[in-house]
Amino acid sequence: MKRRAKVDYARWVFVLPALLVVGILLIYPIFSSLYYSMTTKHLIRLTYDFIGLENYKAVLADPNFFKAFLNSVLWTLGSLAGQLIIGFTGALAINRVNFGKGIYRTLMIIPWAFPSIVIALSWKWILNGVSGFIPNILVQLGICNELPQFLSDNSFVFLTLIFINIWFGAPMIMVNVLSALQTIPQDQYEAAQIDGASKVQQFWYITVPHIKVVVGLLVVLRTIWVFNNFDIIYLLTGGGPANATTTMPIYAYNMGWNTKLLGRSSAVTMLLLAFLLLVCVIYFTIIGKWEKEDK
Amino acid sequence: MTNKKEKVGNAFCHIYLIVLSLIAVFPLVWVLLCSVKSSGELTSNPTRFFPKHFTLENFTHVIQDLGFAKNIGNSLIIAIITTGIAIVISSMAAYGIVRFFPKLGSIMSKVLVATYMFPPILLAIPYSMVMAKLGLVNTRIGLIIVYLSFSVPYAVWMLVGFFKTVPLGIEEAAKVDGANKFQTFIQIVLPLVMPGIVATAIYTFINAWNEFLYSLILINSTDKMTVSVALKSLQGAEILNWGDMMAASALVVVPSVIFFMFIQNKIAGGMTEGAVK
Repeated sequence: MKRRAKVDYARWVFVLPALLVVGILLIYPIFSSLYYSMTTKHLIRLTYDFIGLENYKAVLADPNFFKAFLNSVLWTLGSLAGQLIIGFTGALAINRVNFGKGIYRTLMIIPWAFPSIVIALSWKWILNGVSGFIPNILVQLGICNELPQFLSDNSFVFLTLIFINIWFGAPMIMVNVLSALQTIPQDQYEAAQIDGASKVQQFWYITVPHIKVVVGLLVVLRTIWVFNNFDIIYLLTGGGPANATTTMPIYAYNMGWNTKLLGRSSAVTMLLLAFLLLVCVIYFTIIGKWEKEDK
Repeated sequence: MTNKKEKVGNAFCHIYLIVLSLIAVFPLVWVLLCSVKSSGELTSNPTRFFPKHFTLENFTHVIQDLGFAKNIGNSLIIAIITTGIAIVISSMAAYGIVRFFPKLGSIMSKVLVATYMFPPILLAIPYSMVMAKLGLVNTRIGLIIVYLSFSVPYAVWMLVGFFKTVPLGIEEAAKVDGANKFQTFIQIVLPLVMPGIVATAIYTFINAWNEFLYSLILINSTDKMTVSVALKSLQGAEILNWGDMMAASALVVVPSVIFFMFIQNKIAGGMTEGAVK
């Protein structure tokens, strides 16, 4: 009874620094961006005016913006599908094999540790259209007649980028799915086997229900990450050739740091955030439903 | 019959995993192998796997002539200080969330997911303007402050998972002995979650070491550049020297990979457990 009367300040001391970081470094910039998105803020010029929704109108009237949006959606869907398939099957395979689990896992997570600049440089070098390893091998094996230009040929470049992003992102899915798989009680499989359930049935009725919340959450995290990703494409192609691989973050960057219209760039990033919010609301509604089913 | 089927399935899994592993490690292996090849060999015989003549000339050129040692120093300082500050702030917050704000905790972890959603390119614009106002463009301090924006939420998220594993009973005993909240936290709880804190610290370090976008936007003088941006600027040279780039890449990626190996067992759970439930 006494404790209730006394307000407990000590516990606030624990969370206050983190709340300050979130407030100053994350919440404030969002509102500041929202404000700048309605101004003529310029990268170099010092003065700017409030212009209401003009930036949004200008952005939404630009066909290149819709191209960038479409590229972003394709980039995200393609990367995510590939990462999920490879990560998921990889995890199932590691979970199943009788030896070498640790070695496979250790080797397969290496891409996860790569800084984006090294992802870009290593793949640029491997796929280099003159002295790259893979183009030359393909020619030597007689699969290609001339050196394929993976990163500058319009018909390849998007697939190449998605492949590289799958290479980079699949390990994260794999490791998380694997750790979720290992929490499934083994006796459930044994019981199912006694009841005569097939492997496929065991997979659908035991494995999937156990890991679907984790996988759902991973999909949310990866969607956000891939959609927001700037580094990989910027460093590999810079958005080219001829805007073919310009996604929303790259479009926003060019608008801010090349065209120097920071206000309009802010409008682009606010639209980007709004779209992500919408996607996440849909995701979380689905995951929330799954969690309820579990209880 | 079943036994045979099992064996075939196993073999198939091994083949699949070997293929995936080879694809996964190839870029690292290729960077390392090419970093010790001479520049003539790199372009004249592109598919020769092992170097004909082992040479360290690329490394000495990068470190001595291109001043990459300075960039490594910058990145080290920035990553270490970011990690130190982030871990202190985050472990306090994670403990606070788990112990004192159980209800608020679930809201807070949702807030954290929400902040994860903020596009770095969105944040980059206000950061560059505020840093310019404060005179912190081109400084390590400016970059450290900005790096807290992603390292703190992430570290809190991971640490919440680790702090949940500490049994309450131990803390109750300490309370009976007359320890206050801070003493309990530092003397009882921290040692118990130390492995988790170390893993989180290493992960935070790797992320700061690897970061590119903010560094690109906030740093433009060569002697203040982090390794990522310095590596990018190597590409800007008129004649692309792939030997230099591979050697510099090796210097940047090898520490990340090694650190990652250490924490691979811890990292898996931390990431999703913090948020689930």
